[in-house]
Amino acid sequence: MMIKFVLHRLLWGAITVWFIATATFFAMHAVPGDPLIQDKAMSPAVRAQLEARYGLDKPLSQQYFTFMGNMLSGDFGISFTQENRRVNDIIREHFPVSATLGIAAIAIALVGGVFAGSIAAHYRGQWPDKLVMFMVVAAISVPGFVIAGLAQLIIVRLNAAAESTVLPVAGWGGVNHVWVPALVLGLGTLAYLSRLSRAAMLEVLSSDYILAARARGISGISLFFRYQLRNALLPVVTELGPAVAAITTGGFVVELIFAIPGLGRYFVQAVQQLDYTVIMGTTVFYGAFLVVIVVLVDISYGLIDPRIRLSAGRS
Amino acid sequence: MTVVAIEHLQLALSGNQVLRDVSFSLAEGECRALVGESGSGKSLTAMCLLGLAPPNAVLNAEQFSVMEQPLPAQGHRDWRGWRGRRIAMIFQNPMTALSPTRTIGAQLSECFRLHRNMDRRQARAESAALLERLAIPRAEQRLSQYPFEFSGGMLQRVMIALAVACRPKLLIADEPTTALDVTVQAEVLALLRELQHEQGTSLLFISHDLGVVANIADTVSVMYAGETVESASVASLLCHPAHPYSEALQAAMPRLHSSEMTVAIPGSPPDMRGTIHGCAFAPRCKHRMAICEDSPPLLASPRGAGVRCWRWHPDYPERWRLQHD
Ligand SMILES: Nc1ncnc2c1ncn2[C@@H]1O[C@H](COP(=O)(O)OP(=O)(O)OP(=O)(O)O)[C@@H](O)[C@H]1O
Ligand code: SF4
Ligand SMILES: [Mg+2]
Repeated sequence: MMIKFVLHRLLWGAITVWFIATATFFAMHAVPGDPLIQDKAMSPAVRAQLEARYGLDKPLSQQYFTFMGNMLSGDFGISFTQENRRVNDIIREHFPVSATLGIAAIAIALVGGVFAGSIAAHYRGQWPDKLVMFMVVAAISVPGFVIAGLAQLIIVRLNAAAESTVLPVAGWGGVNHVWVPALVLGLGTLAYLSRLSRAAMLEVLSSDYILAARARGISGISLFFRYQLRNALLPVVTELGPAVAAITTGGFVVELIFAIPGLGRYFVQAVQQLDYTVIMGTTVFYGAFLVVIVVLVDISYGLIDPRIRLSAGRS
Repeated sequence: MTVVAIEHLQLALSGNQVLRDVSFSLAEGECRALVGESGSGKSLTAMCLLGLAPPNAVLNAEQFSVMEQPLPAQGHRDWRGWRGRRIAMIFQNPMTALSPTRTIGAQLSECFRLHRNMDRRQARAESAALLERLAIPRAEQRLSQYPFEFSGGMLQRVMIALAVACRPKLLIADEPTTALDVTVQAEVLALLRELQHEQGTSLLFISHDLGVVANIADTVSVMYAGETVESASVASLLCHPAHPYSEALQAAMPRLHSSEMTVAIPGSPPDMRGTIHGCAFAPRCKHRMAICEDSPPLLASPRGAGVRCWRWHPDYPERWRLQHD
């Protein structure tokens, strides 16, 4: 049954998340550095008090079990660096920002990638194909932060030329704050998905069933959506899990460059400052998030491919 | 009415003359078989009739018409009204000729909706009725199934349903039973024949199995290296083949009541990448003469067959026999 399949995948996902949490926990503690160093020097008494508050005076194994216990009850504790701020609150406030950016990026990558790939396949060997393939190589080989910087430079020039703020260079707030960073974030995935859809579409175009459909008089939009796109999407959908993962991790950098108050930025800051609780909270959260995405992708794959849907439904 | 009239059809694919001279006609209700070795251009001829020759194809013909109307240029937009409506095709491999991600019902209803302007419900009812007519059990339920849930024989019935849905004037079947189990081949052929009679359709039946051809066709055109080398009635071709290649094909036919070995045709067909001078069959022909270096014209045999071979020239053998020795 489908439900059994989903539960099975979720169980494995839970084990994965536990493994990530454990590995992160010990790796984090093995990193040299002091999470309690603040701007001011502190007296030994204050320090002891803080250590007690965060449980740092306990042996590592005990800290581990305390952390695991709290995590299971859904509590990631209090941030080391932002006093009195609960990690759960940080996630709750900032994840929606990252999610908005990420969803926009995925949407751009998916729609743009499939569109570009389909065009390239239909015009195989002609200039649209060559143009798309050139842009794919460019987008894959130029690092994300270079593209981000370039995008900002272009916006600055644009604003200067127009003598007004056509697009914001950075920050967060309106729709205009979303789409440039989303495009920058999604570009690599867009390029990857265009290459994938191009290959998938080429295979579909040379198949018997397309010839047979054309022989029945099916043409234009019906032929494209019902016969070509639908079949070419199958291999693309399987790659959506890795695509989401790429966009999630890419988001860390893009949020920093565009000064977007997303969770990714907090994660990067936390690592730099050895903010133990925020590191653990965000890592576990991102791990669980990706596990759920992978399961969702599997389910959606089953929805478009009847061979998988029906065999999963019957076994 | 003449349903198909093709005269001197030529087709070049990136400079290679793959169809050199295809000529035949098909009357209303007639079944003509197109036979010949692999690569002789049977499928390409069929694709031209649907306007689906490869995009780089260059086509030339003195006459190329269906239902006495000239066909549009290959790949042109004007094929609406021809494809799937007046001309339909059944493909060799039913397992790959249906989209794997749409139900049989969706693909079949689509034909009724596209060509006969039916609404969703009508189209579905008509689809179920057609599948039932084609002896597919539980037709109603099977409409919501996907191609991978069907056996090869059942799928070929579905392909036939797709093809005859709009009662085409011309039905092309490209080796419709080659990919099927021997046990279901006869059933599918019988069904095809039945439907052809029922609807008065003309059938162009592509095959390289003369046994099957003897069963289903009225007339035959034999193709060799992109040319129709003989067009005759089935009886005439099987009993008195006029062209040496037809003769060889007929001799290579397996015989049921004989222990005598069948004779494979020695040699191989010419490479279509080069230009062919004279008779294409000459290198394999045991009747070859000096004049065979010139292309033979289309001649008439005394039994009424159209033959492309010098041996049926009125002056043969008096004029050329000597040159041969
Ligand atoms: N798309 C194509 N591009 C280039 N050459 C092609 C193409 N399709 C067919 N040909 C060539 O055209 C010639 C005729 O091919 P065709 O498919 O019509 O043969 P056929 O008689 O149907 O053979 P078979 O019995 O194997 O189906 C062959 O030499 C083949 O190599
Ligand atoms: S024209 Fe000459 S070579 Fe060709 S088939 Fe006839 S006899 Fe043979
Ligand atoms: Mg063929």
